[in-house]
Amino acid sequence: MHLFLLIGLVAFSAVAILCRELLKSAISLAVASIFLALLLFEMGAVYAGVFELSVVAGLITVLFITAIALTRGDGDVAEGRAQRWVFPLFFLALAVVDVLVMRRLLGRIPAIQGSESGGFSQVLWNQRTFDLVGQVGVISAGVLAVLALFRREGGHGKGEGHE
Amino acid sequence: MSNLWVLNLGFAVLLVGVGLYCLLTMRNTVKLLIGIEVIAKGVTLALVAGGAARGNLMVAQSLAITVIVVDVAVIATALALVININRHTKSLDVRKLTRLKG
Repeated sequence: MHLFLLIGLVAFSAVAILCRELLKSAISLAVASIFLALLLFEMGAVYAGVFELSVVAGLITVLFITAIALTRGDGDVAEGRAQRWVFPLFFLALAVVDVLVMRRLLGRIPAIQGSESGGFSQVLWNQRTFDLVGQVGVISAGVLAVLALFRREGGHGKGEGHE
Repeated sequence: MSNLWVLNLGFAVLLVGVGLYCLLTMRNTVKLLIGIEVIAKGVTLALVAGGAARGNLMVAQSLAITVIVVDVAVIATALALVININRHTKSLDVRKLTRLKG
């Protein structure tokens, strides 16, 4: 089951990259996010799985589809011809190198330590407080950046486009 | 458990490799953002798998959530930039951005 989910995650990620139509790419990316969320659930990371499922598979997919809809008709960009043929070779070479390196890592895995004390909320609020402050800052910066990018010029009756 | 960690790490490396391939070869700006998203998935998988293997799953989860939040902010800002660039260049081709030089 775990291997099936991992293969599905990589396969749908590759489809998202190789697909010509952007809408299909965005949907493939959402399916890959669902596979990753299931993997996280299987490993016991319930909170990260919920975030992955709701934020990445949900919100980011909506953002991508909105952007694709707003740029409709302009999405046909001529990619390089060799790109589709090079990808399988690149992937195969990467997989071979990956297997060789991981086989060497098998005997050098850090020992499993004892289970940590406290629940998720205790760890998040007490140990990772600085992360939370950083997250609030990043979200605020993102909102301000999007607002700045979509602002309209006032006072002269002009929109932001000058076509 | 350690073998499972190696398996997860191997697939995380594959994801990062696929995303880097996209960033290096694609010309569509939306596809480039999809490549960034695939790399973020690999990082999230590696973080949680490492935490699960070492018994620090809660810390790993909080770090994974931080990665997801940063990823959302980056993608939202980048998509807004892409839409604005598209209004000016009428294209999603990243090569058209060379006209912004000098």
